[in-house]
Amino acid sequence: MIRTLLRGAANRALAALAVLLGAAGLAFAALHLIPGDPVAIILGPATQASAQVQAAIRADYGLDEPVVLRFLHYLGRLATGDLGRSYQLQRGVDELIGEQLGPTVELALAALVLAVAIAVGSAVATAGRGRIAKAVSGWELLAVSSPPYWVGILLLSVFSFSLGWFPVTGAEDFPALVLPALTLALPVAGVLSQVLREGLEAALAEPFAVTARARGLSRTAVRVRHALRHAAIPLVTLTGWLTGSLLGGAVLVEAVFGRPGIGALTLQAVTNKDMPLVVGLVLLSALVFVVISTLVDLLYLAIDPRLRTR
Amino acid sequence: MSPSLPLRAAALVSGLALVLTACGGGTSAGPTTSATSPVPGGELTVAVDSEPVSFDVHVSPQDVTGEILRHVFDSLVSIDAEGRFKPWLATSWEVAPNLKSYTFHLRDNVKFTDGTPFDAAAVKTNFDRIANPATKSQLAASLLGPYAGTEVVDPRTVKVSFTTPFAPFLQGASTPYLGFYSPKTLAENADKLGGGGPVAVGTGPFAFTGYTKGQNLVLTKNPDYNWGPEGAAHTGPAYLDKLTVRFLSEDSVRVGALTSGQVHVARAVAPVDAKALEANKDVTLLKSDVPGGNYNIYLNASKAPFDDPVVRKAVQRGINIDQAVKTVYFGQYKRAWSPLSPSTTGYESKLENSWPYDQAEADKLLDQAGWTTKDADGYRTKNGARLVVKWPVMPPPYLREQRDVLGQAIQADLKKIGVEVVRDQPDIGTYIKQVYGGQTDFTDYSWNRFEPDVLWLFFNSASQPGKGGQNATFTKDDELDKLTETGRTTADPAARATAYGKVQQRAVTDLALVIPVYTPVNSAAVGKSVHGLAYTRDSRLSFYDVWLDKK
Repeated sequence: MIRTLLRGAANRALAALAVLLGAAGLAFAALHLIPGDPVAIILGPATQASAQVQAAIRADYGLDEPVVLRFLHYLGRLATGDLGRSYQLQRGVDELIGEQLGPTVELALAALVLAVAIAVGSAVATAGRGRIAKAVSGWELLAVSSPPYWVGILLLSVFSFSLGWFPVTGAEDFPALVLPALTLALPVAGVLSQVLREGLEAALAEPFAVTARARGLSRTAVRVRHALRHAAIPLVTLTGWLTGSLLGGAVLVEAVFGRPGIGALTLQAVTNKDMPLVVGLVLLSALVFVVISTLVDLLYLAIDPRLRTR
Repeated sequence: MSPSLPLRAAALVSGLALVLTACGGGTSAGPTTSATSPVPGGELTVAVDSEPVSFDVHVSPQDVTGEILRHVFDSLVSIDAEGRFKPWLATSWEVAPNLKSYTFHLRDNVKFTDGTPFDAAAVKTNFDRIANPATKSQLAASLLGPYAGTEVVDPRTVKVSFTTPFAPFLQGASTPYLGFYSPKTLAENADKLGGGGPVAVGTGPFAFTGYTKGQNLVLTKNPDYNWGPEGAAHTGPAYLDKLTVRFLSEDSVRVGALTSGQVHVARAVAPVDAKALEANKDVTLLKSDVPGGNYNIYLNASKAPFDDPVVRKAVQRGINIDQAVKTVYFGQYKRAWSPLSPSTTGYESKLENSWPYDQAEADKLLDQAGWTTKDADGYRTKNGARLVVKWPVMPPPYLREQRDVLGQAIQADLKKIGVEVVRDQPDIGTYIKQVYGGQTDFTDYSWNRFEPDVLWLFFNSASQPGKGGQNATFTKDDELDKLTETGRTTADPAARATAYGKVQQRAVTDLALVIPVYTPVNSAAVGKSVHGLAYTRDSRLSFYDVWLDKK
């Protein structure tokens, strides 16, 4: 029994390592397939750097070495936990990511909690209620299809610029978190709610729901205690998947609201072709992916007892 | 016992009144109650459009870096409103007749904010650092030109030498990019200066006290400051206690934050927002024509079709620039006639209206150049080849001011005279390779610097792209070489003006190497509680003289 568990854990760790290694290799390859001299990219079009300075930059970043050697050196440094130094910001990649991770995690978590709360509330309240469900579902589709950028500007115009309830300012305090989190949460809530409502409606039509009602349970109790558990499995899968999209959405939301964070850092790294930083961020997303999929698997076990006996 | 009804109503009304006055504060309490003389104190927030990539003022070429760090670093000389050089950290200076050395006499009792004194050795340490390739300067080193070295004559006297005559030096010395770090911080923190923050120690009216990447930076008053540039509105420390710079990249968010009173000043107002802000009584819109190079299109004269000057003239006359600039920028920007911006010393005003839009003339010139036949799509051909202009679009984030939309108008105009303009939008690596490798026909950019020596950068044959130069005409014209050399090796303002006047005429009228398009405008929206904010002669916002209404 313990041996099986250990083997499972070892397999999982190996798989995680393979994912990380693959991500690192792919990111490295992608950035090298992009045409153009990295030094020219680092300097940008409006520079007057002399040939000597360009050579100094090239040597400094090891760009004068052959690609294969660079990749091996790169992997070697990764193995020792060294993510390298950003081309543009002249600081350690680990240091930069560490510094910007906090605000993004805060934003993503707040958005996730909001999204799940809105979705569960909306689905439980409207499932199986014909016309109301249809109307709410229409609004949700609108939220899903609206670009977060536009939603953000809209929320800012109304709640910050006109009503003055929330500041535009970055990440100092809680009020400043509300609008960005809501911007990020709305489309996610829309998707979750659609899926959950459908699951609930299916579950409510099943015989066990009818039996429960017959035992004298109220409508709401049936929904919350029995149907919700049934409908939750696809919700958990989706939530795991959508957490990844939250990080993607954070790029735009952080830009609109002038918040610090990984999103803003990624945008800057990609537009500046800041290779070490881009690779570092790709590794981070791979890590997040691995962690979330593990968590999702564990959650399945908690929700559905049938899975535990396998 | 509960209060009687009238009492409760009264409380309600007065509460409402309170709320109403609080909301209306911006409109009624504005200019009428404001003091007329400066009040020290207060904290000002300015929203800027982009976050500096590097905060090392000796390394970064960004305008926004220079504008912000101007408040942390002082220069040897300043430029006054008339464009003359005035004392700052140097009280006086002598220029050698051969323009190969400049001797500066430094002001007494100037201190860096870490307490160390500013002296001749500090000047030498800073200039040597900029010139050292290991610093990887992207702009400042070019402002030092043919730098030979700096000699400490005595603690208060310093002599900067060049290998060849170098007239543009005083202008370079007036920019923040040739500002001074404390030698102590250079010795201890050289590798951390790009990250900004308290390690960036200068002599300026503000100290760089805080930085949150992606969010804001904070400058606080240097209480000992007593060496402002001659020509400033006051002496002594800055009025503001604190200057917070917020990074808000979205145009509409910056404007919204300003009109809702969350920031005092918004930099880089988009032309589309300008009209509404001008109509807003609570906001002042400051505008300043950017000096240096206009937004110009440079023609690659090293290969067909633009190796033929007649074809170059034809496209120059075949674009309705007035119409395009007016439409795309809502009448906010002026069309250009010269590659040099009108606010730059040496601007040649004779060029104005000298080459107006003339489609018939353009057609005639193309006929004359032998592009007489047309293909099925209506484009001109010669010996079976179509007349095509390759003009790649700069990729974001380098693409500014809707220049891609302006390009569409130009494309449509040229189609009318039978010229096909091909516009791809490659990534920046490919863009640089194609454009700076001379493979394209049109190159477009603007260049902000308050000094006509930018013409050397645009047209001298030594300014080759790929060697750090910007001569996107890829041509060598002896006359242009001679005139731009004269400009940088002559101290006499009249002689310089003559030379630069001829450069502009030769490049535009004689050779048609360039199509000037518009003069970029810096603009900032300012709330009514802010006083004393203006653009400097070299088009930067300066907060040294700024003060706020007492709350």
